[in-house]
Amino acid sequence: MVGIVVVSHSAKVAEGIRELALQMAKPEQKIIAAGGMADGSIGTDAMRVSEAIVDAMTDAGVIVMVDLGSAVLSTDTALEILDENLRARVRIADAPILEGTIGAVVEASVGSPLEQVLATAEGAREMRKCL
Amino acid sequence: MTEIQLVLTNPTGLHARPASQFVQTASKFKSKVKISAGGKQVDAKSILGVMTMGLRSGTAFTVTADGEDEVECVAALASLVESKFGEE
Amino acid sequence: MSSFTVAALEAVADTIVQNKELLTSLDAAIGDADHGINMARGFEAVRVKIRAAAPGTDISGLLKLTGMTLISTVGGASGPLYGTAFMRAAAAAQGKATLDPDGITQIWSAALQGIKDRGKASRGEKTMLDAMEPAYEAFVEAVKAEKSLVESLDAACEAAKEGIEYTKTIIATKGRASYLGERSLGHQDPGATSSYLMLAALTEFCRSQQLGA
Repeated sequence: MVGIVVVSHSAKVAEGIRELALQMAKPEQKIIAAGGMADGSIGTDAMRVSEAIVDAMTDAGVIVMVDLGSAVLSTDTALEILDENLRARVRIADAPILEGTIGAVVEASVGSPLEQVLATAEGAREMRKCL
Repeated sequence: MTEIQLVLTNPTGLHARPASQFVQTASKFKSKVKISAGGKQVDAKSILGVMTMGLRSGTAFTVTADGEDEVECVAALASLVESKFGEE
Repeated sequence: MSSFTVAALEAVADTIVQNKELLTSLDAAIGDADHGINMARGFEAVRVKIRAAAPGTDISGLLKLTGMTLISTVGGASGPLYGTAFMRAAAAAQGKATLDPDGITQIWSAALQGIKDRGKASRGEKTMLDAMEPAYEAFVEAVKAEKSLVESLDAACEAAKEGIEYTKTIIATKGRASYLGERSLGHQDPGATSSYLMLAALTEFCRSQQLGA
């Protein structure tokens, strides 16, 4: 089952999205929050992201959900310091972080492969809410 | 092809958590599964599709399954909806 | 060489910490007013880490420690950008016990490429590259002309300063400042400024050590 990492500038945002996503997750599913800095400041920490990727890793791989700006740069940096064979099984989703995480978690929960979980996460860009 | 009409009776409708249960249940089957309501049809195995339907409590919708396990699939989805997704 | 590298990195860190207010006020004009705060937090952590590094840690090890510290403590985009620069510099410095101008050129080139890769940016987009790349080119030219290390670094600083001036004349197309479009005109780029400050600190440090003067 594809693991999910949630990267936000805010630890509370990452934790909150994880909390919500767990509502839809299977008990054995890995959803790891990697928000904020070690000292509690707002920001992204590439070391924390790389550790979260390792924690979330399964044979099926990991999708990383990111919020804004430096979250992408920090995740790219986290990939650079990871082992090459782990890196090959990680995708960064270009998607709204909350909706994308929910989509990815449900897609992963039914055992879909990495590219399909990525597609669902990114499909959340098109999701209308006010119908 | 097997088809059934269902009414959402759980308090929250097909919002994120029940929608995910619906998709997870539909995905256990090999059949192609669609839900339709109000002239719209989506893939019942697509969480984004099901959430985008935005079905509320009290809404009627149709589940259509097509494939070798279509009968079991429709029965499982009907039972999930009738159990009110465990909300009560 | 190890204690020398520690002292050089400390000089760079001190400059960033001292210029926290300046960098933040530049960023307030076109960004989110956190460049100085973020960079100071990162380089304060670098100062602690490199002082605590095992004696005899080589140049590459110290550069790597600096990069790893920046990526986990800066918090904003400059963390992964400068962090990657230092980590790539560390890789290029591997096996080097001393630094001559050619060695510095190789390390600098790797660092510059790291920033380009990470930021997917190029010159002319109102970023740190607008100071860093002309500075690098000026350094390479000066070394080729057989100038001393300090003279070459002075030439690089001059080019970086011109690069900062140039950033006032262009519109940001990368990073947060790009949201402002034409309103970013007239403001100098905070990242270009922090790049210059680091380079200037390194230059002054080398001058004070009377290196190749």
